[in-house]
Amino acid sequence: MLQAHSLLWDYLWVGPNALLLALGLILWRRGTWRAFHAFLAFAVFSAVGQITVFAADIIPSVSAENFWRVDWVSLLLESFLKFFVIGEVFSRVLKPYPSISKLGRLLVSGIGIVLVLVAALTAAYSRGDSAVYLISGAHILEQTSFLIESGLIFFLFLFAAYFQLSWDRLSFGILLGLGISACVHLATWAILANADPSPRVRTLFAFLIMAVYHVCVLIWFYYLLVPEKKRSSLQLITPAKGSLGDPLTTGATHAETLDVWNRELGRLVNQ
Amino acid sequence: MTLAIILVIAAAVGLIFILGMTVTRSLRVPENSSLAAKIQPIDVEAFRNLIDPAEDDYLRRRLSASEFRLVRRQRLRAMAAYVQTAGRNAAVLVLMGQSALTASDADTAEAARRLVDNALLLRRNAAIALFRIYVALAWPNSGLAAVSVLHSYEQLNGTAMLLGRLQRPAVPVRISATL
Repeated sequence: MLQAHSLLWDYLWVGPNALLLALGLILWRRGTWRAFHAFLAFAVFSAVGQITVFAADIIPSVSAENFWRVDWVSLLLESFLKFFVIGEVFSRVLKPYPSISKLGRLLVSGIGIVLVLVAALTAAYSRGDSAVYLISGAHILEQTSFLIESGLIFFLFLFAAYFQLSWDRLSFGILLGLGISACVHLATWAILANADPSPRVRTLFAFLIMAVYHVCVLIWFYYLLVPEKKRSSLQLITPAKGSLGDPLTTGATHAETLDVWNRELGRLVNQ
Repeated sequence: MTLAIILVIAAAVGLIFILGMTVTRSLRVPENSSLAAKIQPIDVEAFRNLIDPAEDDYLRRRLSASEFRLVRRQRLRAMAAYVQTAGRNAAVLVLMGQSALTASDADTAEAARRLVDNALLLRRNAAIALFRIYVALAWPNSGLAAVSVLHSYEQLNGTAMLLGRLQRPAVPVRISATL
């Protein structure tokens, strides 16, 4: 079952990409793509790219060298598109918050530069897992790409968590799927490119990343196609009983409290 | 191999954090009555006194260099505690403001938007001020400006109160303990 080119292997390679392509078409038909141009491009081109790589793998007339060339092109295209998706989601998350959007853009640019440097340094120190550069280079490129990608996504989650920013469902779902995929891929490619595991372990890791990617595609399906449950709008702001804001504690009437508040604030601001 | 271990640990930390965020998001209670209880009122006057450069000058003149450094560090730690509380309050107010952004009343929605903007600015300023305070803890003789935090906090007072008044006129939100 857990063999290369078994039925499960073939399904896990083609299935998620076919689903992703279908998701892209559904988004196109629904018009959702207008808000997520980059994600639509990623869904379509990444899926087509991976299916092409699969075809190159099973068609006997394609040489091993050409297979790796196709893999390189697909990988580069997919990586660029993912960075556009991350940028698109970040713009959407920051759009309602003009007070911190400049800071956010500045920080994400800075973090991006640092991540590129770290990834380049990591790639330089990676020993590679094959004497053929076309193969080891592809694996190191995977590691480099996923290192930058997971770093950026981690930063976005951290930034949003620190400032308590509210995400729209679609943006959150897209970044959640990308984040899970990036972290698992990073760990896997770090081992494959640096630890020289046995062929059996390599096959198991391949199953792991394909299965995780399948889960991520299902996450995108859920967040992009299943409507969010309506939450009631919040209305009440009530200080805790016994706190300084509780009128019973202060002993002041509500109107007096407001009046004192305004007077005190005016005094502070004009000082 | 060491590189692989470092990257695997980094990826695992990232994955746990992202999954944690997802769980937190799905468990977030859509009622902010409990949020208001999380606000810790701050004595703005005491904070103003702590960051007053004149106070520092006075202490510098009256105390020996070593005594000044000791006192200055204590004041900086107290300052950090105030700034942390202000930052936490700002985070709570962001959540409260966001919950009112979709209000049908235009005034309430506008007040909520201003509250969110001001609270985000305060949260940003609090982070910068905390960084500067920790730097100053290492060099107690250096100058320090936490004034931006105080200014933001005062602005926040106004917008939080306005939103509270618009949503529920009888019960204002209070984030300062100067009264």
